[in-house]
Amino acid sequence: MDRLATTVITAGAFAVLAAILAIGVFLLWESLPMLVMDDMALFNSLSPLVWGTLKAALAAMLFALPIALGAAVYTAMYMPARQRTRIKPLLEMMEAIPGVVIGFIAGLILAPWVERHLTSTLVLLIWLPASALLAGILWHALHKRWRQRLPFSSAAIWLIPWFALMVILALWAAPLVEQYLLGEDLRRFLDLQLGINYATRNAMIVGAAMGFAVIPSVYALAEDALSDVPPALLEGAQALGADRWQALWKVALPAAGPGIFSAVMIGAGRAVGETMIVLMASGNTALLSASPFEGMRSMAAAIAIEMPEAAPGSSTYHMLIFAALLLFGFTFLVNTLAETVRLRLRTRLKRMGGNA
Amino acid sequence: MNSCATSFVFLRRSGYAGLLWVLLLSASANTLASPVSGTLSAVGSNTMAGLILRWGEALSQRHPDINLQFQASGSANAPSALITGTTRLGPMSRQMTDTERRAFTQRYGYPPLELKVARDALVVIVHRHNPLAELTRQQVDALFSTTRECGANAAINRWQELPATQDWPFGAIALHGRNSASGTYGLFQQRALCGGEFRPTLSQHPGASAVVAAVGESPGSIGYAGYHHLTPNVKAVSLINAEGQAIALSENSVQSGDYPLSRYLYLYVNAPPEQPLPTAEKALLDLIFSPEGQQIARSAGFVPLSETVRQQQAHW
Repeated sequence: MDRLATTVITAGAFAVLAAILAIGVFLLWESLPMLVMDDMALFNSLSPLVWGTLKAALAAMLFALPIALGAAVYTAMYMPARQRTRIKPLLEMMEAIPGVVIGFIAGLILAPWVERHLTSTLVLLIWLPASALLAGILWHALHKRWRQRLPFSSAAIWLIPWFALMVILALWAAPLVEQYLLGEDLRRFLDLQLGINYATRNAMIVGAAMGFAVIPSVYALAEDALSDVPPALLEGAQALGADRWQALWKVALPAAGPGIFSAVMIGAGRAVGETMIVLMASGNTALLSASPFEGMRSMAAAIAIEMPEAAPGSSTYHMLIFAALLLFGFTFLVNTLAETVRLRLRTRLKRMGGNA
Repeated sequence: MNSCATSFVFLRRSGYAGLLWVLLLSASANTLASPVSGTLSAVGSNTMAGLILRWGEALSQRHPDINLQFQASGSANAPSALITGTTRLGPMSRQMTDTERRAFTQRYGYPPLELKVARDALVVIVHRHNPLAELTRQQVDALFSTTRECGANAAINRWQELPATQDWPFGAIALHGRNSASGTYGLFQQRALCGGEFRPTLSQHPGASAVVAAVGESPGSIGYAGYHHLTPNVKAVSLINAEGQAIALSENSVQSGDYPLSRYLYLYVNAPPEQPLPTAEKALLDLIFSPEGQQIARSAGFVPLSETVRQQQAHW
């Protein structure tokens, strides 16, 4: 019985490997005619797609990394264990939201809202991180008794009403700021004074939506890496007189560094391969522009839209297959790299923990 | 007959006898009168998916044993499915090209039967508050293309460059349309851009409703979509024809073909000449060209055929 089960499982594993290999071979075979042709047309039609993919992924990472990594550091290092066991699964559940739903909300609700309230959005983008800093400064200036009532370890809870207040403040102040600084509508100002075009579905929207989708996986992996750092290391550092901040920067982050790197890589891999969010929130304009206010078209979205209607054997078909090959190669590389780094880190940390 | 009687007894006991007895009788009478049965399958246009399904439902109501299955995979797939013999019915939102027709004739020795089943129009739409009322063909081309094949002198990039929208307080014009592999994109390119190239700044949406929604929510934009997708949030722009007349979008102007961007929708049938059609297919065609079938086309959001065309097509 035991042997039978082992055989079945091994066969299954080999079948999966063979399937992955077969996909790669199929894509390579189908895109061969295109590679041989070495056409400028291929380059011209593919380069906006490659650029769009990278632009979307970059925007998503810019949005996701500060939030995901910040949250991981805070939960792993500062949060009391009881809160942590509740909050971590909650954040990981965010991953269960389907991409279509996020894309739908971003494309049909968020994008028009942001277009109508561009100033408010930009003010919020600057003011929210600033208000977090402000909260820190105010907290330090507080009287000791108050500081005990609002302990740092439960900051995640008492910061919620603070942020809500700040959002209301920003939304109230944004039109006044616009009037005072520009004297007219920001979109008109961008258009007439600076010549910047604003598309409803743009890199900013895609960045926010896809960043939202990437946060859970980056957070979960980074948090794992940080809480895998042997407590003995941190205790040792504190015994030598390091405060928490120093222990974090000098000990925990360097030790967990490769794990955080692999978390970022996994996130980037997901952002590059994500289809529905870009498809619904980017406008699918095949542009070579770096403006955060203009749309893009990613390879995955192009494949999703064009493939069902591309005649097999046509140049569009081969171009799409080649884009699929690029995507496959990229995500394969990134995921392998991330996984190797993570495994190496795990053995290293185990050794460290064992020695200490 | 025996089972009918037993069920009758059973029904009388349950108290609905009169009504159900009549129903039972009429159902059996119906199947006796029209022994038409079978499964029809069709492959083709996405645009016509809703229409074909409604015709299929109506057909099953007329003949309970007929079942119509439709695979909406795009007009481009209809000719290949007809040629390989996967299907005998190919709905298309455009006419077959000469190459497609030749390939079919080569395979079977006779051309496919071409039937016009309804009319549709491509509509240039703007936000409902936009004062723009009409556009010439050259202006549409200057708005959407980089090539200006229809003969406009300069590109139109901003609302201020159109006389009607001098005061419209939105600067750059945002373009919305369908994705490049769709039939709608191809038709607009061919008819409205005179075969030229779309601008790369065109936002390409995966469906016509998405285009309409995008234009409806953003006042600085213009787009194109099929007639049956329009909503109250957008306004259809009248098109000025070659004689300089502004043609408003209406059922009449689409039906008569006066509206410049109107088109027929087609159904291609693999019908060998000098052989009667299979009864199920004949029942479908009878339905399509009946007044009821054309009314269904209207409720699916298309424009019915004009009476003369309907009469012509009914005697295929």
